[in-house]
Amino acid sequence: MIARHWMVSLATAFLAVLCANAQSVENGGTPSQFAATTQLAVSTQAAPQLSRRLDVRLPLKDKSVRFAVIGDSGTGDRDQYEVAEQMETYWKATRFDFVIMLGDNIYGSHTPEDFVKKFEEPYKVLLDAGVKFYASLGNHDDPRLEPLYKPFNMDGQRYYAFRRGDVAFFALDSNYMDPKQLEWFDQSLKSSQGVWKVCFFHHPLYNDGRHHGSDLDLRHQLLPLFQKYGVNAVFAGHEHVYERMKLENNIDYFVEGNSAKLMTHDFSREGERIKGYDRDRGFMIIEITGDQLFFQTITRTGETIDSGELPRTSAAPSPSSQPQR
Amino acid sequence: MPDKPTALRPSKRRRTAIATVTLFLLSASAAQTKDRSSVVKDFEERVQQYLETHKQTHVAMKPSDSPAKVEQQKQQASRKIQQARPEARQGDIFTSGVSAYFRERLALTLESAEGPKIRASLRRAEPLPNIRLKVNSRYPASLPLQSTPPTLIANLPRLPGELQYRIVGQTLVLYDLTSDLIVDLLPNAIPNGGNGQ
Repeated sequence: MIARHWMVSLATAFLAVLCANAQSVENGGTPSQFAATTQLAVSTQAAPQLSRRLDVRLPLKDKSVRFAVIGDSGTGDRDQYEVAEQMETYWKATRFDFVIMLGDNIYGSHTPEDFVKKFEEPYKVLLDAGVKFYASLGNHDDPRLEPLYKPFNMDGQRYYAFRRGDVAFFALDSNYMDPKQLEWFDQSLKSSQGVWKVCFFHHPLYNDGRHHGSDLDLRHQLLPLFQKYGVNAVFAGHEHVYERMKLENNIDYFVEGNSAKLMTHDFSREGERIKGYDRDRGFMIIEITGDQLFFQTITRTGETIDSGELPRTSAAPSPSSQPQR
Repeated sequence: MPDKPTALRPSKRRRTAIATVTLFLLSASAAQTKDRSSVVKDFEERVQQYLETHKQTHVAMKPSDSPAKVEQQKQQASRKIQQARPEARQGDIFTSGVSAYFRERLALTLESAEGPKIRASLRRAEPLPNIRLKVNSRYPASLPLQSTPPTLIANLPRLPGELQYRIVGQTLVLYDLTSDLIVDLLPNAIPNGGNGQ
């Protein structure tokens, strides 16, 4: 009798905790409560209900271009897997179509086992669901192997372009920006019919991190092309933090280099950033619809640390207005 | 009146001297330019010879779902070129003349107005220490490839798509991207090393 009473009491208490958790998430609960409830919701709720439960800050409009962003992800360690699990959770709610990778996709050795441990296994659910990954090369990547690895969708090239709806994407190899690549980029931008032009590569042109910082020489080469052809948004990794900037040239710059690696307390005190985060790992989800770009940056534990809506603006014509840092 | 020719004489002599020096300098400069262009031509011919080996030992590199298959293709390409160049030595392409030209170009570029940007890029690209590399060997698998600043690349002779200039410590590496081989090495090419200090 006593044992049965204890069991009933325990079950009641457990249910009460679950209900309290769910309530706190709807009211904007703490990250740990959020994570706990997310796991519960995944196993019990259908996708439309899940999107209401999760803190989704995207409009999820029909025919929008929706994708996730990860950078410096290929460690194969627990942190990468935890970020990947959070991506799965949000994919179930947002159904992003593809993922862009900002380089350092596979750290260290590049054996077949490494490709499994550092890419195929952590993103298995997404890959099995048909979510495509489009990689760019970082300094830890193997420029001989990775472009030929089909799941990276590089078609054997170090740099390439693709189109989704009104959005043209340009994946660049910032490790080796030779004249041939610059000519290709110039021609591709010139002939692009994309209403939106989004570029992604590894080394950031702007960055307030103390470890690497901005790549000034790369900026010197790429910025005139961004401005000439009206590039709208640029995504880079390399510095293991999250950062968002908008500078005089009217281009939105994001650094998402913490999808597995992390540099805590990395930011210089002063900088150009609108938002910076160096306390945990994470990823981004982007939705482009009409003339709006919506973004949401989510941590390994499911906390949203940045989100918003950015209008499509054309690039400023004056390269001389660039800050020199 | 008699003063005039006298006054003109030193001036004429000066003009003649200036003209002679100018002509000498121009011809020296032309000779130097000719020397430089012949050095670049020599470099390009040596690169072309290497590419011929490349073509003869061609291995089709096809995209695959299997990283093992991709690695197999790469190993095959490396092996074939290594076997086709068993006598390959450091200096085959970076001859003494070519080396002097490259060192001068790199020093001038790093001292130019673009120098500070290039040095900053080198510093921020996770620079590598001086590591002993060997011609006709594969690039060490454990070693990342440091990015090469675009302005540095733009100031060196243009390479075909198969080859790249890479920096390891103070060494400029002529690197074959498709076969993963070190084609040639130029030590002490980057003053103060790849950390750009």
